[in-house]
Amino acid sequence: MIRLSTLFWLILVSATGFAMFAVKYEVQALADQLAHTSRQADDAERDVRVLDADWAYLNRPDALAAMNQRYLSLLPIATKQLIASVADIPMRPPPPPPVEAAAVVAETTPQRGGSLVPSGPVAAQSPASAPAQQSATPKPIAQSPAPVAAAAVQARAPASEPARPILIKAAARHNPAPRVRSLDALIAQIAESR
Amino acid sequence: MSAVHQFKDNPCRPRHFKPPPCAPVVPDGPARRALDGGRGRLLVASTAFVLLFAIIAGRLVQVTLFPGAVTVPYIARFHPAPPPPPGRADIIDRHGKLLATTLDSPSLYADPRQITDAAEVARKLVATLPGLDRAQLQVKLKSRKGFVWIKRHLTPDQEYAVNQLGIPGLQFAHEERRVYPYGSLLSHAIGYAGIDDNGLAGIERGLDNQLRGRQEPVQLSIDLRLQYILHEEMQRVFDDFTAKGAAGLIMNVNTGEVLAMVSLPDFDPNHPDMPDPNHPNVPIAQRMFNRVTLGDYEIGSMFKIFTTAMALDCGATTMTGRFDATNPIHIGRFTISDYHGKRRWLSVPEILMYSSNIGEAKIALAVGGVRQQEYLRRFGLLTSPTFELKEIGRPHFPDPAHWREVNVMTIGFGHGISETPLQLASAAAAMVNGGVLRQATLLKLPPDDAPQGRQVISPETSAHMRKLFRLVVQYGTGMMVDAPGYVVGGKTGTANRVIGGRYSADRVRSSFVGAFPMTAPKYLVLVMVDDPHGTKASHGFATAGWTAAPAVGRTIVRIAPLLGVQPVDESSPAVVQALMPVSLQGKRIEAY
Repeated sequence: MIRLSTLFWLILVSATGFAMFAVKYEVQALADQLAHTSRQADDAERDVRVLDADWAYLNRPDALAAMNQRYLSLLPIATKQLIASVADIPMRPPPPPPVEAAAVVAETTPQRGGSLVPSGPVAAQSPASAPAQQSATPKPIAQSPAPVAAAAVQARAPASEPARPILIKAAARHNPAPRVRSLDALIAQIAESR
Repeated sequence: MSAVHQFKDNPCRPRHFKPPPCAPVVPDGPARRALDGGRGRLLVASTAFVLLFAIIAGRLVQVTLFPGAVTVPYIARFHPAPPPPPGRADIIDRHGKLLATTLDSPSLYADPRQITDAAEVARKLVATLPGLDRAQLQVKLKSRKGFVWIKRHLTPDQEYAVNQLGIPGLQFAHEERRVYPYGSLLSHAIGYAGIDDNGLAGIERGLDNQLRGRQEPVQLSIDLRLQYILHEEMQRVFDDFTAKGAAGLIMNVNTGEVLAMVSLPDFDPNHPDMPDPNHPNVPIAQRMFNRVTLGDYEIGSMFKIFTTAMALDCGATTMTGRFDATNPIHIGRFTISDYHGKRRWLSVPEILMYSSNIGEAKIALAVGGVRQQEYLRRFGLLTSPTFELKEIGRPHFPDPAHWREVNVMTIGFGHGISETPLQLASAAAAMVNGGVLRQATLLKLPPDDAPQGRQVISPETSAHMRKLFRLVVQYGTGMMVDAPGYVVGGKTGTANRVIGGRYSADRVRSSFVGAFPMTAPKYLVLVMVDDPHGTKASHGFATAGWTAAPAVGRTIVRIAPLLGVQPVDESSPAVVQALMPVSLQGKRIEAY
């Protein structure tokens, strides 16, 4: 009986001892890892400071102006371009009822590609691009075989709807002629100049 | 009982004999006392052990159940101390753009006692690091000192190259270095800090205590975008008219925040003592000189806005008042005449529009010397302004005790008194913002928390001043501003420069202060060009209308969209109604 309990305690003690050393080494490894990580964090923090300064340096207004001149040729906004504000542009009208919508979409699809090009500068400016597309295609809606659908679209549009096409046309006219017609052309130009 | 003893002592007692289970009765005597003492000691010892085990158990509970309290010091032994925080706080603009920061930079030093072949080391170092003098370096390396600087603030590439040399006795010390990413764009506003991180100019000097050893960045009221635009437009005027100096300022008229501040010629705070590659002949002292806050200038006609405002405010005249500007005034050895005389009676708005010196001198006389001084003091034009920079000039004016009639008249049109552009801007802002003078500041104020300010003229006078400002730009000397849509109002100022103690006839100092939109002024732009020279494009003119006014106009057209000022139709009845004096409504106004 005595032997058995002694054996039990012996096993328990050695197991505890083993577990303790295992835990100790594990803790030591974790502490090393912690030290390493915190050193890395400090280094990263220092790098962030350098990169922040670098970012500020690369974003000097004169450097950006030079790059704009080289790649984008954007001009400052002229006062007359600001006479109407974004708030004057109505929201996109809600989509027409599904049945008639199919006819409208069929009519507008061929026009959509064409309408993108002249509205390029407007599209770049603001969320006006969506209404611009819509407004550039009033004809198909009017010509659509279902006059009921057109009426529905008209009725659902906000009250300021009639002013919209004029506004956008005016803005488009005042915009300087963009040298780059699309993003693809721009990327091609950048690639070329490199 | 004695039998037990017998058996215990008896070597021949049976092996399995057990004495009866009762303690032997020990008779009193020495044995009894020894036994009692032993029990006592046993008690003390066991209590001590119980206490110790209780402590260990308690500690065990603490360690396992409340880890936070105990593990931190343990971890701290493994966690290296974090690097000391940067010795100087960052400076950021009002939108958080980094204007000045502190970076780690290695500096090279040597221990000459460890260096055996000084000549060879010097040769290698000179080949690796540019800008070192070989002979001087060799002398340094041969010295008996234990420490000599070789070069401070190396780039990472240079540090790598020196390490590649593998010379014993060379060491790196990690120092900090102040970096200004935007270079000369903000030279005078930010200033610079020296090699030992002490502020030597600008905000770095003015707020040294707030920057040194702190971490939270200092946020300026400067808007980097406006600063760039103003700098560009000023540089254009400066170069076009080959001027000697120029100063410009953009201010929020309702809070006193300075949004942009440019003084030309300027310097690169990263290398404050290097010559300017574009203007190598301009001395450093001139480039360091802050013309906005430190320089005080006779500003000329721009000062007429203050004379007119005080006359209207104290009731010396009214908007319909008229003064005779037919003939020049002769007083003592002075003659006061007009630059472009109309040679007739002029109304108060006309005097300001056509910038008549004669008319303004007479208005000043109507105000009188005592009231003139009192108003100027109120406008903050007779004391140094309070500002975050240390480079603050003080105005110069005649001794108040000897403020003679001729002084009253000349000060009326801005001669015989000199002011810094900063305090002129603050005072001009008070003329149009409803009459409240607020201290100019370079620090960003919390939104919707304009400082209290001081009412220096009545809101009604300020409303009159807004109309007069607008007239000057519509019909008067400021017609070249040309910023349609932003309802700009302002006043030109062309002063004759003093050369050799006399007013020069052809060397001038041109300035323009403009505010917009005049219906409810929000921002003020002040531009001063010192000693511009007329060009072909300006038909040889160097006056404010041809130099400073167009620069202000170009600046306003560019900054207004960024400041969210919506252009309006200036000919719309609402705008005209709001800004045309009652006495002139419906009348034809003669343009300048």
